[in-house]
Amino acid sequence: MTANTSKSKKLVRFLANNTVPILFLFICAFGIPLSGYSASYLISEIIVRLVRNSFLIVSLLIPILAGMGLNFGMTLGAMAGQIGLIFITDWGIVGLPGMILAMIISTPISMALGWLCGKILNMAKGREMVTSYIIGFFMNGIYQLVVLYGMGAVIPIRSKSLVLPRGYGIRNTVNLIGVRKALDDLLLIRIFGIPIPVGTFAVIALLCLFVLWFKKTKLGQDMRAVGQDMEVARAAGIRVEHTRIISIVISTVFAGYGMIIYMQNIGTLNTYNSHMQIGMFSVAALLVGGATVAKANIRNVFLGVVLFHLMFIVSPMAGKNLIGQAQLGEYFRVFVSYGVITMSLVLYEVRKKREQAVAGETLAAAQEVGA
Amino acid sequence: MRARRTLLIRLGAIALLIILSVVLFFVGKSHTVLVDNKATTREGTDLAALKLVEVEVNKLGSLELTPRDRDKFDVTGQKHKVTVTYTDERWEEHTIVRTFTVPLMQDMVMIEVPALVAFPESEQSVWLGKYEAPTYAVTMAESNEVVTDDLAVFMSDM
Repeated sequence: MTANTSKSKKLVRFLANNTVPILFLFICAFGIPLSGYSASYLISEIIVRLVRNSFLIVSLLIPILAGMGLNFGMTLGAMAGQIGLIFITDWGIVGLPGMILAMIISTPISMALGWLCGKILNMAKGREMVTSYIIGFFMNGIYQLVVLYGMGAVIPIRSKSLVLPRGYGIRNTVNLIGVRKALDDLLLIRIFGIPIPVGTFAVIALLCLFVLWFKKTKLGQDMRAVGQDMEVARAAGIRVEHTRIISIVISTVFAGYGMIIYMQNIGTLNTYNSHMQIGMFSVAALLVGGATVAKANIRNVFLGVVLFHLMFIVSPMAGKNLIGQAQLGEYFRVFVSYGVITMSLVLYEVRKKREQAVAGETLAAAQEVGA
Repeated sequence: MRARRTLLIRLGAIALLIILSVVLFFVGKSHTVLVDNKATTREGTDLAALKLVEVEVNKLGSLELTPRDRDKFDVTGQKHKVTVTYTDERWEEHTIVRTFTVPLMQDMVMIEVPALVAFPESEQSVWLGKYEAPTYAVTMAESNEVVTDDLAVFMSDM
């Protein structure tokens, strides 16, 4: 009897902790047969999404370790990456050298923006997520000022195909033909006809190894301590504010690199919109993978990309086959994407409050026994 | 002492990155090499186009050109090799191999094949010239209104 109760409690806890991935599994299990896509098509699409998005999503892990929640400020890194891409396109630097140069250009910009973001987030402790989200909007204004009015006027841009007909400002779309698939095609192998970009996977694996190694370093342990309790960490001699800033700087720099990898896969830069979408769907994918605001690991990244993007791939066709309109699938996937973020945040808060209540009751009971 | 060492390491890292950037710039800079088989004039001599000529830049595959043909090779870096193979009026095959350097910031250069064949030992400036693409070829349509979207949705770019 007790064993059964314990098992059912475990099951309930497992379901409660994995509500979002389980829900997505159901959506995908329902949508895949309806969409009518073949397994090989779905696998090749998922591989494309994995190489395109994983690096960006891994960049979110370090701020979570430092207790700063989901870094919506990764859009700042994405902007820096895009600036790097605009410059190399203007200079005509192509292939892998172009990609690496774009990363080098983005690094100091990402570091400066990350440092600024970290400073502001230190002034808004406990409200990091909403603050970083708004910083993204604020910085988008400055990005637009620089790219739309500065480039071509103050910052020299030679290429006429980049500059707007008025003589300054960058066009809506930038063709990244020079770096398109530069990394993906580096070590491309085919297994059963499905292309596997080994080079990009190797870069993502390196980042994952870096994150695992980083967690074991002194700085990583400091971040973990800061994430668990800032006051205790401060009492232990850890420079809390400094550590938090470093976590945001690292995340922003990696987000910049991730954006460059993302863009080389797509091949076209949507100058004024691409970066704004990145933060939201990276966070959504991580949450779909079972991460919470306070806890995330590499498994969540890959599970999240697979489930979230599987839903993205199948829902339009499933919607079309179900009621004859692909548009419904489009609405559905947008609604589900925003919905999953909301649901994850609500579930996290509910769980946190429940744990606090249980801890309070336990403490009260212990005090009563003591009295 | 420790602060000084840290500063030196940081300065060294920055210097290394700058050097790497410069190397990447030189290695990754792309150029378009046009190969042109049109009649031209050099040093007062009229040079006719070749009836059939095979041109290859580096190892990018050879192109066959007939009179008034123009084609292109996309290359990276500054130093390249051009190989021209043609048959003269006595049906003897000749091959000319020359190396040339493209100016760093020049996007397009043009090799005039008849000039290269006529003066194979001359300086590269005799047969290689800078080329500026006409404006209509590099600018897109005028209707390029900037669209900024703060409330970006998931639909596009995914």
